[in-house]
Order: sequence, then structure tokens, then C-alpha cells
Amino acid sequence: MLGNADTADRRARFKYADAGHGYDRFGLHPDYVALADLVTGPFYERYFRVRTYGSEHLPSSGPAIVAANHSGTLPFDASMLWADIYRNTSPPRAARAIADYFVTGLPMVGTTFSRTGMVGGSRGNARALLQEGELLMLFPEGTVGIGKRFSDRYQLQEWRQGHCELAIRHGAPVIPVGIVGPEEQMPQLARLPGFGPMPYVPIPATLFPMPVRYHIYYGEPIALQNQFTPEQADDPDVVSEAALQVKTAVHELLQQGLAARDGVFK
Amino acid sequence: MIAVLVTGVATPIGEQLVRSLMADTRVRHVLAVSHLPRAQALTLSPSPRLTYLQVDLTQTRRVRQLVFGPARDLGVEVVVHLAQHRSARSAGRKVHKLNVEALRSILDLTDRHPTIRRVVVRSHAEVYKVDPHLPVLVTENHPLNLSPRAAQFVRDRVEADLTACARMGLSRAEIVVLRCAEALAPGTGSQLFDLLQAPIALRPAGFDPMVNVATIADLVSAMERATHGSGEGVFNVPGYDTLPMSEAIRKWGTPQLPAPGPIIEPLYALRHRLLGSEFSYGMNRRRMHYGLVLDGSRANNELRYAPSHPIDWRVGGSIEASHTTTTVI
Repeated sequence: MLGNADTADRRARFKYADAGHGYDRFGLHPDYVALADLVTGPFYERYFRVRTYGSEHLPSSGPAIVAANHSGTLPFDASMLWADIYRNTSPPRAARAIADYFVTGLPMVGTTFSRTGMVGGSRGNARALLQEGELLMLFPEGTVGIGKRFSDRYQLQEWRQGHCELAIRHGAPVIPVGIVGPEEQMPQLARLPGFGPMPYVPIPATLFPMPVRYHIYYGEPIALQNQFTPEQADDPDVVSEAALQVKTAVHELLQQGLAARDGVFK
Repeated sequence: MIAVLVTGVATPIGEQLVRSLMADTRVRHVLAVSHLPRAQALTLSPSPRLTYLQVDLTQTRRVRQLVFGPARDLGVEVVVHLAQHRSARSAGRKVHKLNVEALRSILDLTDRHPTIRRVVVRSHAEVYKVDPHLPVLVTENHPLNLSPRAAQFVRDRVEADLTACARMGLSRAEIVVLRCAEALAPGTGSQLFDLLQAPIALRPAGFDPMVNVATIADLVSAMERATHGSGEGVFNVPGYDTLPMSEAIRKWGTPQLPAPGPIIEPLYALRHRLLGSEFSYGMNRRRMHYGLVLDGSRANNELRYAPSHPIDWRVGGSIEASHTTTTVI
């Protein structure tokens, strides 16, 4: 087994719903989770030097939805958030990243990521995972967020609402997350039209993300299930109100993080 | 004590279902039907509780004679309809008649039948649409593959499924549609089984979808439960084994080679031409890229069905290719 004692310890304590051949029904395999832990380790510890705040808000079991801002041209923010959740939950939880459809359609990428828990962003996948008590990780800004212009950094883009509908319907708390750092890691100069499953081709100012420091802020869980009944998940006004709560919470966490940091690389 | 009419008993699933029903003390009589002479269709020894009939279900008149003849005389209460072409390469009007029109006739006749109160229809996981935009875990309201470009094998299965669904709540009889996972066994029409018989299983590079496969024993168990159950509806019938396609191929003992999609199709077409094999890459292209796993929650809740028979992967490589020959039911 590669990696250090911490990696091996997390692998040993990791629990998942084995469908019978070592994989869960969506394709997650614990060895790939451990490999992802290993691969993200150097980026997490040395390159982006992630600092985490409020991780006690992450539930150790049961369904929950982590909703964060999205940015950085390449999804290193998702990788670091995934690693941070895996390292700061006990037993370790592999957050189930809800990815845009085009990601699941990419050769190699779709399969590899699915082994670490990623699923395509369909309502059916999310519903099934919540019913199985999984922790979902999603970015309501979607690809618009990750492709935002440098001048729009830390300005939340159009905020999708599906996560709140799911949270209300399935009684899952939403944990707002503000990630400070990746919005400056890879300024985007332009974008070219996409091809195949790619929605667009980014032209970044740097070939690789700059070593900005990541600050991940977890807010207090928003217990939408205590505010609304499952039947209200069908009410667009209720879902909009809930989504605004989450967006506001993420915005406040970002402002808190920006005010607290000393510089982009510090 | 009920009497059951089973069509398509010349298939491994049909024969196993007849055996199970014969061993079931709640079953008074089994009327077994296929298009073959009995000696070729069933290896069961004669029994006063078993009647075998050779019937061509593509002939509407024969279906009528069956339903209002022996089935009425024996007081058949439940029909389990399994008869469909198993060859993905079969096409044409005659094939469509068996795949779809035979079921339509049975449902029509059931409406006026004095004793039939329940029709169980075997459908297939292949009726579902596979797409990266859709869930991997498939419930009964998952979109169906309604593509006009789909092979007749698929289009017929979708049409038969919808034909049965359209009668639910309108027919005098209760209608149950079982969308069964692929049975990884010879003679069942399984495309994956045929793929596993290849000297080298080629699959698209960069993709390794989750698949769910069943044993004949589990499918028969679901059919028995549907036979004795009450109420109607559509039920997914998953198998016990859920795993990546590469893992299924490895466990079966077949060498595999990931390759670019454009070169896989002609190679499988060549294999079909030279060896008469069944697997069609064109028909399975999406299944070989994106996962599809049946969610059996509804069958578990309402039929009390849960898959309990894992595939014996050790025997995979020992099954001879000659057993894969697919014939008309």
C-alpha cells in the first residue's frame, strides 16, 4: 500500500455500500478512493496548502448536501474539497461529487472519477444516493462558475436550485461552503467553442494552476427539512427561497474568508 | 391452487420456470407452450399436472384456440408470457409477430376470458435508454429507448412492454411487467453472454460501465412471485451481481482489450459473419460506455423479490460456445 500511515488509516476506516464485488452500485471502489486520497495529498498539503475552518459541521453519517462556490478553470477546487471532507470526517466519507453530464461522458475521466464516488448530475442519481445516506458534494454555479472571468472572481454566478429541492424532499441538511483561493489560481483569458462532450475550451493565462493557498470554510448546516415539509419541494417559491438561503450563506463565508486572508499565496 | 399457462418454455428460463411451478404445491396444473415438439422443448418427465402443447404463437388463430381451448378447459388463471425471439439478428414481420403481436393477442383474448385473471409479461432491461444524462441506477420510470434507429430486437421489446403497460387498469386481468436484468446464461438471448464467449472481448477504451446481471434462478424466482402475487404494475428485476463490465469479463476468464470504438464495430461484425455470433456492437454501443443498474426496490417492496443467486463466475470459461446457439422459441 502506497502512502503514509494516515492514508492507510483512512483506507481502513472507510465504509461504503459494497454491491457484492467490491464496488458500490455507482462504481465507487475503496482502493480508488484511497488512490485519490494519495494523489490529492501533495496538492492538498504542499501545493495549495489547504486550511480548513468549521469542518465540525460535516455530519459523520446520514444524508447531507455540501454546496460550494465553483471556480478556477480546472476543477482543483472540487478535488481539494473532496480531499478535505475525506480527511476531516470520521469515519472518512467520500463525498459523492455531482458532476456535469459532459464529465461522465469523457473517456478515462468519467470512469476514474466514478470510482472515487462521482456521479452524473441527474436527479435520479442524487435521489438514490441521498436515500442511501450519502454525502453529496455539488457546485450550484456549475460550469458557468468554473469558467467565470477573472474580473468576476468571488461573485457567485447563477445559482441552480435543484440541490435545495432534493434537500427538502429527502430531509438532508445543506452545508454551505466557501472556498477562497481557487478563484485566482488560473485566470482565464478567453474560451473557444467546445467540441464533443466539452462545453467550451478555456484559454488560461497559466498552463497550470498557480500555488494559491486554499481556505475552505464550512458554514453551519442549513436544516431545510426543519423549515419546510417534503411536499413543499414541489413549490418553486419555497425552493427559490431555500436556494437563496444557501447562496447567501456561501457568499458570507467567502466574504469572511477574503477579509481574513493576508494574500492570495499566504 | 391455480393453473398456469407458460409460453416460451423451450428457453432455459421457460423450462426452469415450468420445473419450479411443478414443484410448487400451490400450482394445480401447468400448461406449457412452445413452437417446438415436446421432445425438443422440455426434458421434464410426463406428469398428470403438466400439459404440453406445440403452438405457433405468430398465428392469431392458434393463440385463440389455445386460450379458449385448453387454457379455458384447464381453468388457467395466470399466464406467464415469455415467448420472444432471442436472436438480436432476427428481423422481419414474422419476428415482430412473435415478439409483439402474440402478446397483443393474448391480452385481447384475456379481456373476454372466463378464468384468466392475471398476465405476467417478461420484459427486459434493454428497453431502457442508456445515456450519460440519465441515472445509472434505473427505476421503472426511467426513459425507454424509443430511438427509431434501435435494432428491431430492442424496438420489439419496447413495443411489447408498452403494449402490456397500456392495458394496465383497463383490462379485466391484472397485468404485471417484469423488466428483467440480462441473464448471463446460454440460450437466453443475452448479448453480454455472447460477448464473453469471444476469444478476446473488445470494449471501448476509456469506459468501464457498471452492469447488473442475473441468474436464471433469480429471474424464475421473480416470475413465480409475480404469478402468485396480487395487484399490477411494472417491476425491475435486478440480478445479484453488480460490477464493472471489465470486472465481469475478467471474472468470466475472457481476455479483454480496450480499443477505440470505431475499430470495434467492424471487428464484431466480422466475428458475426465468420462465426455466426450474436453480439452486435452497434446495438450495445451505449451500454458499453455508460452504466445501467436496475433498482429493484419496487419488486422488493411489492413482490418480496430480492436477488439471492450470484453468478458462478468459475464456470464461465468452461461453457462451450456451441451452447450459445440462439434459436427461435
